[in-house]
Amino acid sequence: MSEAAAHDAPTSTGIEHKKLIMWLFLASDCMFFGTLISTHLLYRKLYPTGFTDAEGHQRFIQNLFNIELTSFSTFILLMSSFLMALAVSAMHKGQIKSFRRNVLGVIFFGLIFLGCQVFEFTHFYHQGLTIQNSVLGSTFYVLTGTHGTHVAIGVLWLILLYFYSFSGKLQGHVAALDVEVAGLYWHFVDIVWIIIFTAVYLVEYLGPNGFWGSGLPPVIK
Amino acid sequence: MSHDSHHAPVASKLELAPERSDLGLYRPDRATGWVDWLTTVDHKKIGILYGAFAMFYFLVGGVEALAIRTQLARPDNTLITARMYNQLFTMHGTTMIFLGVMPLSAGFFNFLVPLQIGARDVAFPRLNAFSLWTFVFGAFVLNASWLFEFGHLAGWFNQFEWHKNLIYTDFAPANGWFSYAPLSGTIGQADQALHSPRFTGVGTDFWIIGIQILGIASLAASFNFICTIVNMRAKGMTMMRLPVFTWMTLVTAILIILAFPAITVALIELMFDRQFGANFFNPSAGGQPILWQHLFWIFGHPEVYILVLPAMGIVSEILPTFTGRPLFGYPIIVFSGCVIGFLGFAVWSHHMFTTGLGPVPTAAFSLLTMAIAVPTGVKIFNWMGTIWGGRVRFTPPMVLSLGFIWMFMCGGFSGVMHSSAPADAQQQDTYFVIAHFHYVLLGGVLLGLMAGLYFWFPKIFGRMPNEKVAYLASGLVIIGFNLAFGPMHYLGLAGMPRRTHTYHAGNGWETWNLVATVGAYILGIGVATAFINLVWTAFKGRKVESDPWDGRTLEWSLPSPVPEYNFAQSPVIGARDAFSEHKYGDLRLIYEKDGGPSGVHMPSQSWMPLLASAGFLFIGFGMPMMSMGIPYAGWLVITGLVVLIAGIWLWALEGPGGYMLTTPTNTAPANQPSASLSR
Amino acid sequence: MLSRLFTRAAWLVVALVSAFMVGCSKADLQVRQSTLDPKGPVAKLQYDVFMDTVWLVLVLFVLVGGLLVYAVVRFRARPGDDVKVVTQEGHGNPLVEIGLITASIGALVFIAIPTLGAIWIDDDVPASAVPTSKLSAWYPRTISGVEQYAATLENQVLEIDVVGKQWWFRFEYPQLGLTNDAKHSVPNEMVIPKGVAIHINLRAEDVIHSFWIPKIAGKVDLIPGRKNHLWIQADEVGHYYGQCAEFCGDSHAYMLFRCEVLEPADFVKWVASQKKEAAPVAENTKAAKGKELFAAKTCVMCHNVSGHFGAGSFAPDLTHVASRKSLAGAWLDNRDPKAQVAIEHTSPLGTEASVAVDPAVLKANLIRWIGSSGVATGADGKPTKDVKPGNRMHFYKMFNVASLNETHQTFTAEELDCLAEYLMTLK
Repeated sequence: MSEAAAHDAPTSTGIEHKKLIMWLFLASDCMFFGTLISTHLLYRKLYPTGFTDAEGHQRFIQNLFNIELTSFSTFILLMSSFLMALAVSAMHKGQIKSFRRNVLGVIFFGLIFLGCQVFEFTHFYHQGLTIQNSVLGSTFYVLTGTHGTHVAIGVLWLILLYFYSFSGKLQGHVAALDVEVAGLYWHFVDIVWIIIFTAVYLVEYLGPNGFWGSGLPPVIK
Repeated sequence: MSHDSHHAPVASKLELAPERSDLGLYRPDRATGWVDWLTTVDHKKIGILYGAFAMFYFLVGGVEALAIRTQLARPDNTLITARMYNQLFTMHGTTMIFLGVMPLSAGFFNFLVPLQIGARDVAFPRLNAFSLWTFVFGAFVLNASWLFEFGHLAGWFNQFEWHKNLIYTDFAPANGWFSYAPLSGTIGQADQALHSPRFTGVGTDFWIIGIQILGIASLAASFNFICTIVNMRAKGMTMMRLPVFTWMTLVTAILIILAFPAITVALIELMFDRQFGANFFNPSAGGQPILWQHLFWIFGHPEVYILVLPAMGIVSEILPTFTGRPLFGYPIIVFSGCVIGFLGFAVWSHHMFTTGLGPVPTAAFSLLTMAIAVPTGVKIFNWMGTIWGGRVRFTPPMVLSLGFIWMFMCGGFSGVMHSSAPADAQQQDTYFVIAHFHYVLLGGVLLGLMAGLYFWFPKIFGRMPNEKVAYLASGLVIIGFNLAFGPMHYLGLAGMPRRTHTYHAGNGWETWNLVATVGAYILGIGVATAFINLVWTAFKGRKVESDPWDGRTLEWSLPSPVPEYNFAQSPVIGARDAFSEHKYGDLRLIYEKDGGPSGVHMPSQSWMPLLASAGFLFIGFGMPMMSMGIPYAGWLVITGLVVLIAGIWLWALEGPGGYMLTTPTNTAPANQPSASLSR
Repeated sequence: MLSRLFTRAAWLVVALVSAFMVGCSKADLQVRQSTLDPKGPVAKLQYDVFMDTVWLVLVLFVLVGGLLVYAVVRFRARPGDDVKVVTQEGHGNPLVEIGLITASIGALVFIAIPTLGAIWIDDDVPASAVPTSKLSAWYPRTISGVEQYAATLENQVLEIDVVGKQWWFRFEYPQLGLTNDAKHSVPNEMVIPKGVAIHINLRAEDVIHSFWIPKIAGKVDLIPGRKNHLWIQADEVGHYYGQCAEFCGDSHAYMLFRCEVLEPADFVKWVASQKKEAAPVAENTKAAKGKELFAAKTCVMCHNVSGHFGAGSFAPDLTHVASRKSLAGAWLDNRDPKAQVAIEHTSPLGTEASVAVDPAVLKANLIRWIGSSGVATGADGKPTKDVKPGNRMHFYKMFNVASLNETHQTFTAEELDCLAEYLMTLK
C-alpha cells in the first residue's frame, strides 16, 4: 500500500521523479564531458604535432590509432545500446527472461568495449604515449578514461540489476522504471562515445588535409 | 490577530508501524535524539542541520577574517607570517562561499521549498540526507587541513619518516579561493614517482578533494530540488504561481548542475597533474595555465549568482509581507532572475580582463557584463515598486532586507565600474575588488540570509527572536560592514593589491586600513549578537503563533513548528500568494482528499546516506595523505570507495520503506468548502 | 516605536553620509601607487573611463537611492494606519518596466562607448604615437662612432622584456643590448625615457604574476607559457612605484618594483652606464675578502657580476646593485626613509621625488637580506626572520633537486660585513 502511495502519486509534469532526475544528471554530465572534450580539442589544436616519446622521437598520435579496432569497439557499444532498448522493452512487458538475456548481452558488449580500451591503453603506453610525457597524453587518457569509468559504472549497475532480477523483486511498474533509467544512462554513455570517437579519432580523417590543417604527418616508426 | 483558524489540516499522532526494509535491516523510524538526527530524511530537519553547520562555519570564516584584518591594521605588521596569512585568506574565501553561504541557502531550500509548493517532502528524501552528510564530511576534510597545519607547526609529525621527506610543508591551502595554476599545480618533468615539481604542498590537495566532495553534495542536492519543484507542486500551483523564493531556488539549482561540472573537470585535471604527473596546466610541458582560469570562472561566475539569487528570493518574499502588497512585476522579477542565470554563463572572462585576452574578447565580455546590470537593475526597480504605495513595517527582517537592497545596489554600482575593462585594468586584484564583492556577498547575500533567518525563525522553531536585540545586531552589522568595506574602495584606488599580508608605511594606506579593521570588529560583534540571539531563541525564545508576520505564502498556513508530514491533506492552489488570498481575498485554500483513512505516507529514516557519505570522508583524507607520502594512505582511498559503493548498494536494496500516519476525518478548517475527507 | 526607529535610521544615514564626506576629504589621491593620479596616456585613459563610470554611478546612486529613501519614508506604516492587505497578483506596469529597462541600457551605452575605444587604444602603441616614439626620433643611433642599435630597428619603438619570477622582476632591453644573455639585465628597477611610448613584453618563468605601475598603466598578467604585452608612456620624470598584483605564493606581498623615468638624454647615458663592467676591487680590503666569499659561498652560481663573475643567470644581476634604490624585490628601501618622506611632502613632484641611496641604509639592508632565511643568527641567538619567506636564495628545496639541499650556507657577522662591503663597490 505504501509503495503505491509513495510512487504512484501523480507528478506535476507526469514524468516520474526517477526519470526526471536521471535526465537532470545527464544534463550535468553533458557539461562534464563538454568540458573534457573541449580541453582535449583545445590542446589538439595547439599541439597538432603530437608528443615526444621516451627515446626523444617526435611521434604523432594518429599513427598510434588502430582505427579498425576502435571502430569495432564503437560498433559493439552501439549494438549494446540496441540490446539495452530491447531489455527495457522486455521489462515494460514483464518478460523477465527476455530482459535477463538482453541485459546479459549489454554487459557482455560493455565488457568487450572496456577490454578494447584496456588493450588500447596498454598498446599506446608501450608506443610511448603516457599521461606524463605530453599534454596530449594527459587529455587523451583522462578523457577516454573518464568515459571508460562511466561505462564501467554502467556495467556494474547492470550486473547488480541482473542478479537482483533473480530475487523476484524486480517486477512491475517500479522495476520497469528502474531499468528504463539505467537504460537512459547507458544510451547517454554511448552517445558521448560517438562524440569522443569523432573528436579524438575521426577528425584526423576528415578531408585530404585533416581537420587541423597540418595534414597527416608521415608515419614515423 | 490570530490566524489559527486558517491552519491546514493536522494529522493525528497515531502512527502505524514502519515497514520492514527489503533487507530486513533496522530502519530507525522511531529513533529519538542523535540517532534521529543522523538518520533523518525529513527535509525540515535536514534544513536545520544545514543551517546549523553553515552558521558554525560562518563563525570559523569570521574568525579567519578578523585575523586577517588584525594583521592589516598596522603597516609592516609581523603578527601573522606570510604563509599563515595566505592560508587564512584562502580558507576564509573558501569557507564563506562553500561552507557558509551555500549551505545556509541550502538550509532555506530544504526547509522552505516543499512547504511553499505544498509538498510533503522532497522528491528523494534519502538523497537529500546524502547531500547533507556529504557536505558535512567535505567541509570537515577541508578544515582538517588546519589540524594538519597546526600539528606541523607544533612539531607533532617531526618524528615520522614521511614528514622528513616532505619538500613542501604547507598543510593548509594557500592559493586563494580560485587556486590559479601553476601556483596550485606543477611545473617541469615528473619524476619516477610521478611527482612533478610544484609550488605548494598538501594544503592544495586538501582543497582539491574538499571542493570536489562539496561539489558532489551540491550537485546531488540540486538534482533533488529541481525534481521537487518541477514535479511535486500541489494542484493549481502553476509555475507562475510559485513563490519567488522557490523560483530562485530552481534557477540556482539549474545553475549548479550546469556550472559545477566545469570545476569538477578542472579539479580532476589539477588532481591528475599533482598526483599522477599529468600536464594539463604544466607550462613546461606545454600546458596552458590560462585554461584553469577559464574552467574555474566558467564555474566561478555562475557561482556568484548561485550565492546571490537565493538571497534575492528571500528579499522578494519579505518585501511583500511587510508592505502588505503583492510583489510588483512578479513575472518580470522571475524572468530577470532567469536572465541573470543565463547571462551568468556568458561573462566569466571579466575576471580575466588583465590576462591579455586581446581586444575583441575583452570588448565582448565587457559589453556582456554591462548587459547583466540590466536584469539586476530590473529587480531593484521592482522591489521599489513593491514598496511604493504599500505600508512599510520596519520589522527586523524588513530592516535587513532594505539593507540588502541598499548594499547590493552599491555593490552593483562598483560592479558596473569593473565591467569597463580599461577601468578594471587598474582595479583588478586590488582592494577595490575586495570592496565590490564584499558589498555584493556580505552586504547583499549575508544581509539577505540574515533577513531570511529572522523572517522564518518563528516558522522553523515556533519562537520569536528578541526584536530589540535583532535591531541592535542589524545596526551593528550594517554600520560595521560599511566601515570595514567602504574604505577599501579608496585603498584599492590608492593602489593596494589584494592578498598581500603586509604593506609598508608611506603608501598612504595606514589610516584606512585601521578604520577597516575597526569596522570589521564592529561587524564581528554584530554577527555574534545575531548568532547568540538566534541560538538563544531556538531553545528559550518567546513562543508565537503560526503566522506572526501576516505571511502570504503556504508555509504560514501550517502550525509552527511544522509537523513532520507538512500537509495532512495536500492543498489546492487558486492564486499566487495563496495564503494571503485565503485570508483576505475571495479564494479560500481547499484541500485534497488524499490523506483520508489510509493516512499520510512517510518515508523511512535510513543509515545508508550517512554510510555512503562516510566513504567520502575516507577518500578525502586518503588523497592528501597519499600526497604526504604517508604509507598505506592509498588503502584509505580504496576503503572509501568500497564504503561508498557498499553504501549506495545497500541504499538501493533497502528500498524507500515508509510508514503511515493516519489522518482523522474531522480536522478540516470550518471555512473549507469541501470538508468531507472520507474516501 | 517605529517612527523612533525610523528617526534613528535617518540619523544613521546622515552619520554615514557625513563619514563618507569626511573620508573623501581626508583621502589623499596622490599617494605612491594611486590610480587617481595618472602620469601617462595609458593611465590617463583608464582614469578617464573610470571617471565616466563614477559620474554615471553617482547619478544613478542619487536617483535610485533617493527614490528608495523617499519610498521607504513616504510609505512607512504609521500608528493607527488601516493596513489593507492587497492580494491581487502584481504584474507590474509594462510602461514603467520598459521605460526603466530602456533607460538602463541607455545609461550603459554612456560608458560602453568610451570603454570600447579605450580597449583598442590600450592594447598596443597607437599609430599616432609611433612617429615621435620610434628609436630614431629620440635615441642617437651612434655615439662617438659606436653603434647603439641596429639600423633595422630605427622605426621601432623601444621594447622592454619583463620576466616575472618568484618574487622579483627582471627587465631586459633587447634592442639596446641589455639582456640577461648578454649579462646586462636590470632587476627590479625599470628605467624608461620620458614622453615616448614603449612596448612591454611580459613573460613569467614559474607562476602567474602581474605587472602594474598604477600611475603609468593598469596591470597586465605575466603568465607562464604565454606572451602578453602592453604599452606604457610616462610624461613626468620621477621615481614610480609598482607591485605584483597577482597572488604568486608565500612572498607575494614583497614582490614590488620601481620605475625610474628619465629625460631621454639621461636614459641614453643610463644605458651606457649599465653596460659598464664592475670596477676592480682594491686588494687587502674587506671588499676583496667579500669578493672571495661571493665565490666561496656559491653566490656566484646564480648571481652575475659582469667583470668579476659570469656564471650566474638565474638570480638578479648584481653588477650595479649598489646604485639601486631598493633591495630584495624592492621591499627594502636603500634610501633614508625620513629624508624621503620629507621630500615627498615638499617637492612639487610629490611622491615621484626621490632622494639618493644612503650608504648606511644600503649596508644594513644588504646584511639583513643576505643574513636572513634562518642562515645567520640574530642577537637573541635565534635565526633572523626571513625578509622574504620561501625565497630561493636559501630555499633550494624548491628545485626538487636533492643535492642542492645540502648547499645551505652560513655566514658569520664578519663575513656578512665583508660581503656587504664588496657589494657596495658595485655601483
